[in-house]
Amino acid sequence: MSQLFDFPGGVHPPANKQISKPGQIFELPLPEQLLIPLAQHIGAPAEPTVKAGDLVNKGQLIAKAKGSTSAHIHAPTSGTISNIDAYPIAHASGLKETCIALQADGKDTWHTAITQADPSMLDIQQIDQRIAAAGIIGMGGAGFPSSAKLATKKPIQTLIINGVECEPYITADDTLMQLESQAIIKGACLLLRLLPTAKCILVIEDNKPQAIAAMREAAEHSAIEVVVIPTKYPSGGEKQLIQNITGKQVPKGGIPADLGVLCLNVATVKAIYDAVYLGRPSIDRITTVTGNGVKQPGNYRILVGTSVDFLLSHCQADTSASQVVLGGPMMGFQLPDLQVPLIKTSNCLIVPDAQELPASNSPMACIRCGQCELACPAQLLPQQLYWLAKADAFDKIEQYNLMDCIECGACAYVCPSQIPLVQHYRYAKGKLRQQALESRQAEHAKLRFEAREQRLIDEQQAKEDRRKARAAAAAAAQAAKRSAKQDSDDPVAAAQARIAAKKQAANAPAKSKQNTVEQIAKPSHKDLKTAAAIARTKLKKAQKALTEAQASDHQDSAKLQATVQDLTTRSEAAAQALAHFESQLGVDPEAIKQAQVSWAKANAQVRKLTKSAPDETADAEQQEEYQQALMSAQQNLAKAQTHLHSLKHPTKEPSQ
Amino acid sequence: MMNSISSPHLHGGNRSQKIMLLVIAAAMPGLLTQLYWFGYGTLLNLMWAIVLGLLLEAGVLLLRQRPLGFFLTDGSVIVTALLLALALPPMAPWWLVSTATLFAVVFAKHLYGGLGNNPFNPAMAGYAICLIAFPASMTIWTSPYAYLDLADQWLWFWTEQGQLDAITQATPLDAIKHLQGNTVDEMWAANPDIVAYGDAMFWVNIAYLIGGIAMLLLKLFTWHAPVAMLASLAAMAVLFGAGEPDLYASAGNHLFLGATMLGAFFIITDPVSSATSRQGKLIFGAGIGILIYVIRTWGNYPDAVAFAVLLMNLAAPLIDQYTRPKAYGQQP
Repeated sequence: MSQLFDFPGGVHPPANKQISKPGQIFELPLPEQLLIPLAQHIGAPAEPTVKAGDLVNKGQLIAKAKGSTSAHIHAPTSGTISNIDAYPIAHASGLKETCIALQADGKDTWHTAITQADPSMLDIQQIDQRIAAAGIIGMGGAGFPSSAKLATKKPIQTLIINGVECEPYITADDTLMQLESQAIIKGACLLLRLLPTAKCILVIEDNKPQAIAAMREAAEHSAIEVVVIPTKYPSGGEKQLIQNITGKQVPKGGIPADLGVLCLNVATVKAIYDAVYLGRPSIDRITTVTGNGVKQPGNYRILVGTSVDFLLSHCQADTSASQVVLGGPMMGFQLPDLQVPLIKTSNCLIVPDAQELPASNSPMACIRCGQCELACPAQLLPQQLYWLAKADAFDKIEQYNLMDCIECGACAYVCPSQIPLVQHYRYAKGKLRQQALESRQAEHAKLRFEAREQRLIDEQQAKEDRRKARAAAAAAAQAAKRSAKQDSDDPVAAAQARIAAKKQAANAPAKSKQNTVEQIAKPSHKDLKTAAAIARTKLKKAQKALTEAQASDHQDSAKLQATVQDLTTRSEAAAQALAHFESQLGVDPEAIKQAQVSWAKANAQVRKLTKSAPDETADAEQQEEYQQALMSAQQNLAKAQTHLHSLKHPTKEPSQ
Repeated sequence: MMNSISSPHLHGGNRSQKIMLLVIAAAMPGLLTQLYWFGYGTLLNLMWAIVLGLLLEAGVLLLRQRPLGFFLTDGSVIVTALLLALALPPMAPWWLVSTATLFAVVFAKHLYGGLGNNPFNPAMAGYAICLIAFPASMTIWTSPYAYLDLADQWLWFWTEQGQLDAITQATPLDAIKHLQGNTVDEMWAANPDIVAYGDAMFWVNIAYLIGGIAMLLLKLFTWHAPVAMLASLAAMAVLFGAGEPDLYASAGNHLFLGATMLGAFFIITDPVSSATSRQGKLIFGAGIGILIYVIRTWGNYPDAVAFAVLLMNLAAPLIDQYTRPKAYGQQP
């Protein structure tokens, strides 16, 4: 390695790595229950292949990868699947995700399919298969499925193995490098077989002399070069590490493979060794338990699915002083719930005492001092991003490359006004993601709407075409009629024609009335009533037409007058016919009216009495009086109704 | 349970107050040198500006319903008062200091939204207002060593009573501006008092330079703006003075007379009102250097730092707009 290139920005927070005594791995007793989340990696959650009640052995597949970016999950110990349900997982918001609950049987029996292998006897496909079958994901924190990373079609010139561990407090990788250097080098050599064009560089920060010595010794007769870089946070960030080693930047929106670079964490490489040599899937890891709140800090080998609480109580941690942080102090998050399980990427638990990770003071005004800009490893303008985030200027903040922020926290670490800058960026990033989602949805809705509009237009068009065809046919028929009857263009003649039409209209009902009265053999009462009403109406209309004609001195007014007289006569005749019919039936309109009035009175009386019924407290005499009054009123009503009915329908027998 | 919610959970311990205190400390050599050569006036300016500045700040904070203790202790108003006192002439009476302070604190700072939101450097805004409104009072500079004792200075500060003629004189930049037919060398030769004055100003500037370099080493700001300003000022002096060395002040005169070093390290490095990116600060500083030369040489005022700074304050947002650094992954 000829040259290091450094990267811009970065900070030097106190490392505090000695607290967790790097270089020693502590074993934990077997927990009684493990809770194994299905989404430990980036990508689609794995799909369970077991159900509640199933017996599983250690290392047995319990959930298989779904899609290309996903990873298998295996039983960390032998026991019974007790449940598959949503449980709170390690997330800042206490999010729930589907987990497989495993009741350990305490025997820790390995699955029979787990077999060792001699890699020199395996071909590349078999090595690939063994890595994919082990469900290995990036153990440095990102959790990207390793087999998906290794499946790149791009030529890889540089394989970088990341043993930088730049976050303060964490010593898990340091410990692993000190104790498992041979396995890491063997794993790296396997990777070189998979990536034949690559050279391999293992990078360690210069604050881990023992790890450097161990790795150098192990790598002595191999093709792997151990490179030591100056301590600076966040030099272990993938992009920063690549810039540091190659001098090149991963293009915006690209991946390291675009530069011919592939990065894997040392713990991931160790897991690859376990998978290929021993056939063991990724079911455990080294987790640092540290902070002044822990009596027995150190690096513990934990099974995936071990609860934070189980580990901390074993380490005699006092969690009362401050909230437990999962991950490092720069990028980790506070755990709202200690029952959550540790997963393949859980590298550190910090249990601080009250002073260790102090609460930030109230943020002061930003004085644009620019310290954040000097600290930013992504070469952003953190203070501008802060102002824009505060102003909700999301379009502009995207132009300022907010999405390239790696949330390393260097800006907030140096901010003299102690502004929680990363929190502002997370907020704005969330908003941007939401906006992107909404605009995608809006675009989708727009496409659907446009498709619907087009469909409706097409349907309308088809309808219109059919209508036009029918209209054309009708027009042909009309044309034939028109040729027979010539229309006059003279307005006076047109007016005359209209009046003639009116007269016709006036005469027609009169004739129909005649029909009603004379031609129908046995007209009903109702028919006669209707005929009389129609005659009256037509008479009125004719009278009106006459008045109009007289007002305009029209020559036809005399004729109209005659019509009116005629109609008057007919109307009277109809009225007489009705009266005659009614008298024959014995219906007397006056009597009916009187009967209706007396019925209404009786009805009102009953109603009034019903409403004013005495309540239960009234004495018996009052009750009886009321009952009698009600009864007589009801009798009156019944009488009135019978009388009315007999008047209206004299031919029928009363219904009662 | 009192931790911050969001990462990072560690903080470097840097505080705005600490920055303000370091700036004040870095200005001490300049202040003491100025007191040594030009008398107690600057001290009275400083006391009064601090007292009045704090009172005004408190008053405005009350009106704006902001917590008093939190904002009064940020130290920003003391830095503003200090810079004003250093920039104002030693013979400034109380009302002149008051006007400058009032304008700096109330108008230039709080009417724009308080600390962090002011587009103009408050001290320079206050200074410029007084220079325009009271040009006569703003140009009374005492001769080196010829200053009043503290009692007389006190009397002058409050009442403007005292014998001034014996102790005041034109400044070197003023003299070079009004050569009245002489060459620069002839002017120096004819006026030993102005030469003495120039020597005094040289040491004052050196003191500010030392304070500035100290701040640079403490990483309170980057080198970009001060170096760009000094370089462009020197370059302008060489460019225009080369043809007519007899009529123009030399680059050395420009760098070590007037408020050059005070401006370069204490005024234009005010982060709030300057450009933000490193490239932007280069442009910002260079613009100020050029403007200082232009106003000193062809303008109406013998010194020009305040106006140059204010003009470039105006341009800072535009500079920021066009000097955004390329983010990671956008470089070839």
